[in-house]
Amino acid sequence: MVQRNIAKYTTMAIMLLPAAIIIIVFLIAPSILTILISLTNLDYRFRWEWVGLSNYYRFLSDPNAPIFIRNTIIFVAGTLTFNVGVGLLLALLSTHIHDTIGTFLRAVWYMPRVLPSVVWAFVMMWMFSPMDTGFLNSLLKYMGGKPVPWTFQYYWPFLFIVNGFIGCSLGMVIFSSAIKSIPQELIMAAKVDGASGLTIVRRIILPLIKWQIAFVVAYQTLSLLASFEYILLTLDGGPGYYSTEVLILQAYHLAFGQYLAAMRFGYAAVFVTILLVVGLVLSIVYWKVFRLKELMIEPKLE
Amino acid sequence: MVKAKSLILNMVGLLVALIPLVPIGLLVALAFSESQVQPQGFTTKNFDFLKTGTLFANDPVYSKLYPNVYSVALNTFLLAVGNMLIVVLISSMAGYIISRYSFKGRSALLGSFLVIHGVPASVLLIALYYMLKSLGLLNTLLGVILVKVAVDTPLGVWVLKGFYDSIPWDIEIASLVDGASRLGAFRRIMLPLVAPGIFAVGLFSFLSGWGEYIFVYTFIQSSKNWTFSMLIQSLVGEMGGINLALIAALSMIYLVPVIILFVVGEKYLVRVTIGGIKG
Repeated sequence: MVQRNIAKYTTMAIMLLPAAIIIIVFLIAPSILTILISLTNLDYRFRWEWVGLSNYYRFLSDPNAPIFIRNTIIFVAGTLTFNVGVGLLLALLSTHIHDTIGTFLRAVWYMPRVLPSVVWAFVMMWMFSPMDTGFLNSLLKYMGGKPVPWTFQYYWPFLFIVNGFIGCSLGMVIFSSAIKSIPQELIMAAKVDGASGLTIVRRIILPLIKWQIAFVVAYQTLSLLASFEYILLTLDGGPGYYSTEVLILQAYHLAFGQYLAAMRFGYAAVFVTILLVVGLVLSIVYWKVFRLKELMIEPKLE
Repeated sequence: MVKAKSLILNMVGLLVALIPLVPIGLLVALAFSESQVQPQGFTTKNFDFLKTGTLFANDPVYSKLYPNVYSVALNTFLLAVGNMLIVVLISSMAGYIISRYSFKGRSALLGSFLVIHGVPASVLLIALYYMLKSLGLLNTLLGVILVKVAVDTPLGVWVLKGFYDSIPWDIEIASLVDGASRLGAFRRIMLPLVAPGIFAVGLFSFLSGWGEYIFVYTFIQSSKNWTFSMLIQSLVGEMGGINLALIAALSMIYLVPVIILFVVGEKYLVRVTIGGIKG
């Protein structure tokens, strides 16, 4: 028996440890290290000097901090609205047409998610370029219109589109599988009672998938709070003075920006720590709300 | 009446399905265009770099600024394959243990995987930079691969656990009764049965490594270790307004494996997206 136990634990250790080690070393340890770095004035000299909470005081008195917070709220709220709204429309549309077309539609809309980010950003920047050579502007000129300074003037909608085309497929996939699992009798009964298509969507489908909607909102709020790759690749915080600089992008610029002011790791870590704490609190709340524990049924036997 | 409505709805569906294809179509048109800034005419001259791998072969100054395209392609491939192999190996083992063994801290472990997966790893860049610098892994592909593996593994474990869960216990017990060891049953019985899951995770982690930008951009300086994403983004930065056609041609080469793998494995990739959050 003892021997069997030893064999069992050896097997478990051998198979579990590689994953555990790489996650502890490259995900857990850096999270803790980030918090520690925020208490130092680590910079380009890479000297470790504790400075207590002074980086946090600096954040509180940073005249630009309210701009970054406001931008983060605009970015998350706008992209989230696009993601969930378009995702929902796509799910409804693709489940109410011929199955072949519906499946094709979902496959095509899923594609931006697998495209390399630099390619997507490049095409979008060229399509919405404020210059005359941009695709939309050359189209406008061809039709006799005036060029529009797309990314200069409509920078937020532009960012919602760039991010939204990637993000909306999550909602689309989850919502459409939820809609497909609604019993047909419910829809039929409503139709017999004379309900219109819109009423069926509002009164039957939406209430039945409200948990899925809540889940996507929760999940994407968390990931958008710390997302900056497409902003970095397109507008990079501009145009103008910090007009699209979100908190996490400012952290990136403080640490790895092109300017002399960069490599301020200590102060940059404050931004990240704040986002980590917000993210942790939010995920604990979601954990309770969505009863994720039920997903973790214990194995029946060994 | 109902028929006409359904026909219109189907037409709308078809039109909407074409929207994400517009940017891709424009990219292809630009790549074969005679004009350098908009789709005009047809030429293959933008792909001339494929002959020797040298960009701007006619310009002695510019051609030295950029690495050989084939060495860039090799780096991108190494990052993608390295990420894929390690993620598949370690998450197929860990997923099995988490699915089949009960032990202390199991649900805490699973929960932490879920939480970690929800928060993008880009928040850890500052600490990771410091760690890679201390380990001497800054400016190496290996450093990027290790970070990438750590980021993709929680999802891989979570998805494969789901695949193991869906295999009935009877099959495993039968082989144990027949005298197979636990490890033997895992290798010979379980692994072949979760092959679709392994394929899905492999595909996902290959594409994730292939398209990676932020980690390469942040951790790699020397252009001999560049990947496609770095090369394209640096061309966009240096001459964004001048030679778009060349960037589009490079992007097309970059996209070829992505499109092929997407067409082959779209169903599996969707499974990873759902599996990653629903178990």
